[in-house]
Amino acid sequence: MKKAVSVMVLVAVAALTIFCFGSIASAGEEVKMVGVITKIEIAGKDAKTATATLKDNKTEQLVVITVEDDLTLDKFKDHRIVEGDEIRCKYEVIDGKNVSKLFRKTAGC
Amino acid sequence: MSKKSVTAAVLGLALAATTALAAGVHPGKESIEKSGYKGPETCEECHPGSAKGFLDTVHWKHASKVTNVEGLNPKEEYGMKNRIYVMCNGNDIVNNLKEIPKSPVTGKSKFSGCNTCHPGNHLSDVGSTGAAAEAAVDCLVCHSTDYDFRQRKPFKNEKGEVVMGQDRSAKAALAIGKPTVKNCMVCHEAAGGGVIVKRGFTFTKDTDAHAAKGMVCVDCHKAKNHKMPTGHDPNNWANDGLFVSCSDTSCHGVKPHKDADLNRHCAKIACQTCHIPRTGGAFAKDFTVWEQTPDKFYEPTTLKKEANETTPVYAWYNGTVKNTPHFIGPKGSKKDGKSKITPFKIFQGKAYYNKQTGELLSMDFAQPMSDGDTRAGVLSAAKTLGLKNPEKIAKEAVPGWQTIYFGSNHLVTKTKALYCANCHAPNGVLNFKDLGYSDKEILKLTSPELFMEKLAQKQKEDW
Repeated sequence: MKKAVSVMVLVAVAALTIFCFGSIASAGEEVKMVGVITKIEIAGKDAKTATATLKDNKTEQLVVITVEDDLTLDKFKDHRIVEGDEIRCKYEVIDGKNVSKLFRKTAGC
Repeated sequence: MSKKSVTAAVLGLALAATTALAAGVHPGKESIEKSGYKGPETCEECHPGSAKGFLDTVHWKHASKVTNVEGLNPKEEYGMKNRIYVMCNGNDIVNNLKEIPKSPVTGKSKFSGCNTCHPGNHLSDVGSTGAAAEAAVDCLVCHSTDYDFRQRKPFKNEKGEVVMGQDRSAKAALAIGKPTVKNCMVCHEAAGGGVIVKRGFTFTKDTDAHAAKGMVCVDCHKAKNHKMPTGHDPNNWANDGLFVSCSDTSCHGVKPHKDADLNRHCAKIACQTCHIPRTGGAFAKDFTVWEQTPDKFYEPTTLKKEANETTPVYAWYNGTVKNTPHFIGPKGSKKDGKSKITPFKIFQGKAYYNKQTGELLSMDFAQPMSDGDTRAGVLSAAKTLGLKNPEKIAKEAVPGWQTIYFGSNHLVTKTKALYCANCHAPNGVLNFKDLGYSDKEILKLTSPELFMEKLAQKQKEDW
């Protein structure tokens, strides 16, 4: 019995560890990534939000980022940031959305 | 036309301009709507001589005569155009905008060059003069808030020349005015190889007290005929002969504090020392080893931090600059009567040196960007600059480090400014020993005796 309980505890601890530190972002956790923009969706000049789909350089997964900060939105609107640009991004999962906390082009002159 | 009708016409135009300005709209809207925007010639209808005048500014020439840096020829002009240092190991001459060789991995090429930000069309390039240069000025990239940056891309024309595109649409021209923060940051935020790399600051309400007040760059960098006042950054050599000063009477004056003790500090301590306690950006870069990026091109290996994530180094600075192959930074001393303790963003870069002369060599980025071959970049630059035996120079070039002290003049704070105990403590931010103080002086300077009464009173008021 003692052995069975020990095994169950170990399994539970392992599961908790995977849940806490696994690669899937959980709410409130800040995730860092570098990826190339495959798509930008923004609704007009006065839009207060936009989404950008990034292809993660490491995993090659597509990640949809919600952008709400004025500086980045402005760069979408005047095309200083366009599809094909590589981006260094930090985001947090809030209400199921990957909300951008930092969204920067990696390139410079 | 009679004198009377001319006077009436002038008065009418002046009235229309005044009305438009009062309404916050740049005058000339009707003309642009009617005739479209044709480049500087449209601007010149109301601002005659502006384009020609602009050609004599650092923004166009990327260089000027420099009088405060040691080892320079006072008759020559220096700047991004021709300087060799380790934040930007290339310059406009050796790293002229061009199509780089195709990547051996992807077979793709791209355009790259230090003069990408130059506000011309590249056919009229850095320092060019004459009618074609005047017509090539991209007024709107600095003055329009509705510029379409898809237009400002390099391309090859029918002759195979590399041309920098411009947005000369009426839409962009109808959104002109005093440059906004965005206009300046289009170029200045990504200088040196990426966002916040070179200067290490953002100018937002969260990071700068002036931005929080709604000020824009040109409120301090107030241009006169397009000549821009700058600070006294030891690594920012080219200047238009105008300088920004916090103590300008229209800004903070020579006695900016209510507290006389703080004002007394202004004689020996630069404003930035207390009011810019943090820096950011790149702190080290290696031009001898380039990293492959996901697009299979290469970039110099760069270590960087966000704005406000690094601490400055402090030194006496009298406005003159030491300039050697391994160090660019402030000159000054405690005793010269001109210097102030000033904070600097410290940066160290690794690049190739000439084995024979010990001089720092420059690099053309085209080849290394394509395949990581940095010595090929040195070879190309040596050829462009007409050095003798370029092959030998490139082959024997020796890697080495250069340290640069950049001016730290943004990220201004009032609420987080350093106060008495931040410096006058044994573990304070200033290293009094390095700054030339004797042990006896240090003992006095780091004693609470200096500030006990003042801070006790302040503590009482705060709580």
